[in-house]
Amino acid sequence: MSLAKIENETAVPAASGKSHLRPVPAETITVAVAGNPNAGKSTLINALAGSRLHVGNWPGVTVEKKEASFDFAGRHIRLVDLPGTYSLSPYTEEEIIARDYLVSQRPDLVINVVDATNLERNLYLTVQLLELGIPVVMALNIFDEAEAKGYRIDVPAMEKMLGIPVVPTAATRKSGLDELLKNVVRTVDAAAAVPPRLSYGTDIETAAAAVGEELHSRHPALAARYPVRWLALKLLEGDTKVQQEVNLGPDALPAEALRHLRQAHGEDIEALMADARYGLAAGLTREVLHKPEIRKTELTEKIDRIVLNRFLGIPIFLGAMWLMFKLTFDISTPFADWLDAMIAGPFMRWATAGLGAVGAPAWTVSLATEGVMAGVGFVLVFVPVIFAMMFFITFLEGSGYMARAAFVMDRAMHAIGLHGKSFIPMLLSFGCNVPGIYATRTLENPRDKALTALLLPLMSCGARLPVYVLFAGVFFAASAGTVIWSLYVMGIALAILMGLIFKKTLFRGEAPMFIMELPPYRMPSFKSLCLHTWEKGKHFLIKAGTYILAVSVFVWFLLNLPWGVESKRDSYLGQAGAAVAPIFAPIGFGNWEAASSLLTGIIAKEIVVGTMGEIYAPQALSEAAEAEAVTPTLSEDLAEIGGGFLEAVQGAGTAVFSTFGVSSLAAEEEEGLGPLKNSVRGAFTPLTAYAFMAFVLLYMPCVVVAIAMRQEFGSWKWFGVAFVYQSVLAWTVALIIYQGGTFLGLGG
Amino acid sequence: MGVVDVIWMVLILGAAGYLFYRSVIKKKGHCPGCDHGSCDKK
Repeated sequence: MSLAKIENETAVPAASGKSHLRPVPAETITVAVAGNPNAGKSTLINALAGSRLHVGNWPGVTVEKKEASFDFAGRHIRLVDLPGTYSLSPYTEEEIIARDYLVSQRPDLVINVVDATNLERNLYLTVQLLELGIPVVMALNIFDEAEAKGYRIDVPAMEKMLGIPVVPTAATRKSGLDELLKNVVRTVDAAAAVPPRLSYGTDIETAAAAVGEELHSRHPALAARYPVRWLALKLLEGDTKVQQEVNLGPDALPAEALRHLRQAHGEDIEALMADARYGLAAGLTREVLHKPEIRKTELTEKIDRIVLNRFLGIPIFLGAMWLMFKLTFDISTPFADWLDAMIAGPFMRWATAGLGAVGAPAWTVSLATEGVMAGVGFVLVFVPVIFAMMFFITFLEGSGYMARAAFVMDRAMHAIGLHGKSFIPMLLSFGCNVPGIYATRTLENPRDKALTALLLPLMSCGARLPVYVLFAGVFFAASAGTVIWSLYVMGIALAILMGLIFKKTLFRGEAPMFIMELPPYRMPSFKSLCLHTWEKGKHFLIKAGTYILAVSVFVWFLLNLPWGVESKRDSYLGQAGAAVAPIFAPIGFGNWEAASSLLTGIIAKEIVVGTMGEIYAPQALSEAAEAEAVTPTLSEDLAEIGGGFLEAVQGAGTAVFSTFGVSSLAAEEEEGLGPLKNSVRGAFTPLTAYAFMAFVLLYMPCVVVAIAMRQEFGSWKWFGVAFVYQSVLAWTVALIIYQGGTFLGLGG
Repeated sequence: MGVVDVIWMVLILGAAGYLFYRSVIKKKGHCPGCDHGSCDKK
């Protein structure tokens, strides 16, 4: 028995004009890739096009449409990755983006990526895609996992019922991709008319046909612009966005058609349509999917019983974070130390010698070494730390744990008037706050978006890591990982606290319900981990080569103007720092060096350490020169670089196996700190260092986040609110830490 | 400090200014998760 009647619409009604007459496909084929969240759309595109779209084993990774293109069988295929949606109803930003693209841009074909392990839910979207009249090819993805679970899917039966090609794929293993592309080209070439359609039953189809005729006769412009059947169904179900767009209310519909439908099925036609679609999806699933009778408890369920436990969930999340920071710190520090030694040693010497050889003036040597190399170089030193952390974040995303983290935080988020979905942009913000701000568009209402965006900057981004690593390494060597972890936890805790305050002031109202898919756990491939770690981390290198470089040059000039200034304290930057330093005196770091670094750090948080590098560079360089009485030769320098790298590899390897033992920084403690770190040690105490780190964590968002907030919300209003509350919060928290610590006798 | 030094300084500051404008103001910074490293089209 066939559950769905398949109708091949081979002829277009005469009155429809040219709306459905698709042009002969050109050499370029535009293919939209649509599917449920976490069905593997981005993975499939990456596998097809060799692109590097962000992939994570959690819903909502693709917030906007993205593109990739490649050539296949003499055709240029342009893939458009649409945001993951469960339907094409206009309730979320993702649904609106996906639907608007499909309706207005009319791609040549849609690849509908369906999660074979969640067939019924995914088919609901398939049914809606087929309403659009665009040729569809289904990629029955994650087919390998479905088979591993013992699912048997009758693919030929699916093809017959839906009337579209269905190709089993496993994007992560690049399986079935060639067949998929062949079907894409074949379908586009054969698409002389619209694809087959499913029937929603006589009543709905009769009413839709009547509305369609009405559109053809009375609104030919609309009939030419939109797929008529889709438009008729949308108007019938009272889709307000479509009604507004085409400027047609319920009164414009044929009264007879609506009356019959209401008499037979009641007033709620939207629910009737949804039932019809669900009915098709459920019926189709029953026909083609055969699950094993007795299902063993799956690994995912076993793990979830522990990590989603009511009492264990949050401690496990905090524990996972702690382990991540500990590993990050222990593995990356040997490489950071190696880079530090290289930049402060051979590279500085080579730059000085090279510029001296070409007769460059003394000030340009100073600009290159004490400005650019001290500023940019000291940021680059922390690149291994950032890459290590991005690697672990990518692993948590790809494994499926991040979605659980959002789930276990749901209760805490409810307390502040948000739901767990808001935690996803926050988790993204651990990498960088900017994509976190853009990810707020996955939230349904403006209140949630604004509140989430306000709290995001409290999540510690990767740019703040260099500050933590520098200060924690100098002052808390043995427990540096734990200290950094405490700062991240502080950020989350303060986000909850501020959320509570905002809920009672700026954002009154109840939190919406949270429905979030929990994807199965998957072991990400090492290649995929490396690829996405690079994608996340490379932006820090780009930043270092662009605006951090530019700011380092500005800072050098500001530290050396008025020209010939004797002390940096008397330079323009020194004077500016000294002017604002009294503000920081009650919180423990009222010196001009710290104040100047915080001022320049407004542009990007890494610049805090870059500026410190420039301020302390002359002192550090002279100490280094004193330590090295004889200038090494080039071969000695090269030997030092190679030997240092081998030592770093050995150190990182040892750290992997002794994560719970002695920190690698403890070893450095015995060997003595680098010259720059010595300068920092002279200017801070452990207590003021911790207050300083907390201040850097919390004080105003960087310039790029400000621009992102302006772009996302259309005004500076929310950035203004964030600026004011974060400045006050940062100062207050640092005050509590410093004054409280001093009171407790920890100030030494 | 001669005229040549001043010219060099102006050139260096101009280049730094342009780099800053291009990367922060025009391309709106670099961040992971944005196409082509910038979030200039939303």
